[in-house]
Amino acid sequence: MPVPAAGAGRNITWLLVLALLVGLGFVLDIALGSVSIPLPAVVRILLRQPIDTPAWEFIVREIRLPKALTALAVGSGLAVSGLQMQTLFRNPLAGPSVLGLTAGAGLGVAAVMLASGSAAGSLAIRALGVGGSWGLVLAATTGAALVMGLVLALSGRVRDNVVLLIVGMMIASVTGAIVSLWQYFSAPEQIQEYLLWTFGSLGGVTGSHLAVLASVVTVGLVLAFASAKSLNALLLGENYARSMGLVVGRSRTLIILSTSLLAGSITAFCGPIGFVGIAVPHLTRALLRTADHRLLLPASCLAGAALTLGCDCIAQLPGSQATLPLSVVTSLLGAPVVLWVVLRRQNIRSSFS
Amino acid sequence: MSRPPFPSGRAGGVPAYLVARCGLLLLGLLGLTAPAAFSQPSSPPKARPTVAAPAKGRTTVTYAKGFTIAYTGRCKVITILSPFEQKTTATRYLLVPRGTPRPAGYPDAHVIAIPIRSLVGLSSMHVALASFLGAEDVVVGLGNLQYASAPKVRQRIAEGKIYAVGQGKELNNEQLVARHPDLVMATGWPGENLTRFQTLAAAGVPVMINSEWVESTPLARAEWVKVLAVLLNKEDLVNQKFGQVAREYQRLAALGQKASPRPRVVVGMPFKDVWHVPDADSYMAQFLRDAGTTYAWNQSKAPQGSLALSFETVAPVALTADYWLHLSSTATKAEVLTQDARYAAFAPFQSGRLYNNNRRTNAEGSNDYWESGAVRPDLVLADLLRILHPGLLPAGALHYYQQLK
Repeated sequence: MPVPAAGAGRNITWLLVLALLVGLGFVLDIALGSVSIPLPAVVRILLRQPIDTPAWEFIVREIRLPKALTALAVGSGLAVSGLQMQTLFRNPLAGPSVLGLTAGAGLGVAAVMLASGSAAGSLAIRALGVGGSWGLVLAATTGAALVMGLVLALSGRVRDNVVLLIVGMMIASVTGAIVSLWQYFSAPEQIQEYLLWTFGSLGGVTGSHLAVLASVVTVGLVLAFASAKSLNALLLGENYARSMGLVVGRSRTLIILSTSLLAGSITAFCGPIGFVGIAVPHLTRALLRTADHRLLLPASCLAGAALTLGCDCIAQLPGSQATLPLSVVTSLLGAPVVLWVVLRRQNIRSSFS
Repeated sequence: MSRPPFPSGRAGGVPAYLVARCGLLLLGLLGLTAPAAFSQPSSPPKARPTVAAPAKGRTTVTYAKGFTIAYTGRCKVITILSPFEQKTTATRYLLVPRGTPRPAGYPDAHVIAIPIRSLVGLSSMHVALASFLGAEDVVVGLGNLQYASAPKVRQRIAEGKIYAVGQGKELNNEQLVARHPDLVMATGWPGENLTRFQTLAAAGVPVMINSEWVESTPLARAEWVKVLAVLLNKEDLVNQKFGQVAREYQRLAALGQKASPRPRVVVGMPFKDVWHVPDADSYMAQFLRDAGTTYAWNQSKAPQGSLALSFETVAPVALTADYWLHLSSTATKAEVLTQDARYAAFAPFQSGRLYNNNRRTNAEGSNDYWESGAVRPDLVLADLLRILHPGLLPAGALHYYQQLK
């Protein structure tokens, strides 16, 4: 889609504003927390200058910095994945969870957390060291990957994206039902642990986890940016895209692979984080008033990161000793924003045709 | 059923327990009771002074606040107080000698024929109660056959003499009604009450809810063994055995409270962002006080019995603590690190002072700490003193705890 020449400068401004917001959110997220640390001390710690309170150093370097970096990866990854899904399915309601990936990851996690009811399960789980770590990530990744494999295999046979959309939702439905069944037959404390996971959290991602998450998200984002042109073409419908010379099957596989990597890895490490994926693409489309993915992709990246950082600041409840589940904050904050955007420009369908 | 160290969701807003006790019992007069209700201060309770030995065949409640026992004629009355509701409700059980008619009075009470011959326990704590009294033969059903440590109970399970009835909301009512045990013991959770057991009640299967873990001292929690003793007519045995445990606990607690220095401890493990630590009113905090420790949240009260703190709130304490106790299900330092590599920065990790309470975990995954440990607080406290104050007690092996290597 051609970009109106007059809008170019405006769009650059928006991108800069969003980048600024990300920077601000990043600093705020590191500065705020349940333990109050003066800003100069935070800056000194970040600049690796000596400071006489080792606990502050630990909090900033080992807790808040990894968390803020995770927020960056989660926000940009989920937003881009949501944007790709909405365009691929030409459906404003599509999001990262739509292919059943989140549900698949949830099934994997449920399998380790709830299966400990049986003797074999509990032994295997203790060997894996499950509780908040690699075992959990492995399970979630396996779940998401199984669903992704299924969707990819089906996408080769199913030509219609609407059918694919329905397939994804049905997979989500089935996996959700299996998890419910599992919960029904599990002890309350196991269910509680699983419930905590479903709330989503950035706090468990540190060190080698962060390295893996960041690399997978980077690969996913690179694939997504590479598919910007195909996404633009797909926006006009598959037949039109085909007539423009696009190999629809191949680009569709690329897009599904990219979104699966993004949503699957993020869900595996952080649990299902609601709303960023659906809300941010709408926000950016409304802000930039364009349908060009060469602009929308970087803008969604930035907006997603900024929103997630902001939500994490709120989830920290500065001054309180507790934290709120991130997923709750993103939904509480995200839904009204999307409503506002959608109600302001009621012709949202125009973005998809 | 194994349970988390600090079950969340302890009741909010119970200002004080209403405890009805029988004043004239101690005089040993025949069956004359005068229940007197009075409220207890909600501050951390201290052990009440030892009372005169109860009459033969009778027992009195000294520490626990969640239940009362009264003797009336040939019958006994157990009153269980539910701590989970704004207005504390009491459930009364009229214990009638088997084969005799129900006496008048207590119109709302559930009637149980004693001594009970068959018991279904839904928590491993209930297994502990039976095995403390040497009454493993009474146990005929368990919530989950996997969660039992007592050797005699495990043997009975192997022999097929114990059936599984499911737990929580998946209780197998049909089986329970068909087998008709003399009593089903359930664990109290917030938001749950006897209405959940209406089917069983209608079928004449008595259900008793224990909320023993809400008690604010280890001895009070252990004293729930008297409930089962009364049901089994084993008052003399429980007076003797529980008396021993209580005396030993208090002897150790006196040692611990005087001990110096008082090491700083951090307890539990976080899941993602949330680190649950015991609140000041929990029996766990009392353990830590009696073990002569410096516990950072000794003044913090929470309606849930545990405080849900953020990782960064607890981390400064953990960074400089002397000891780290109760590390989830981990058994080695390597396992601790697979949970989160940042734990390596904690001082107890570096000094190797990591102690978990899972030494007695069997192949089925059942941890005896949550079973027999509930009725043997003296053994738990002895472990804690050996760990935290080396040299205070004569050398000996740890019972429930192990050092992570």
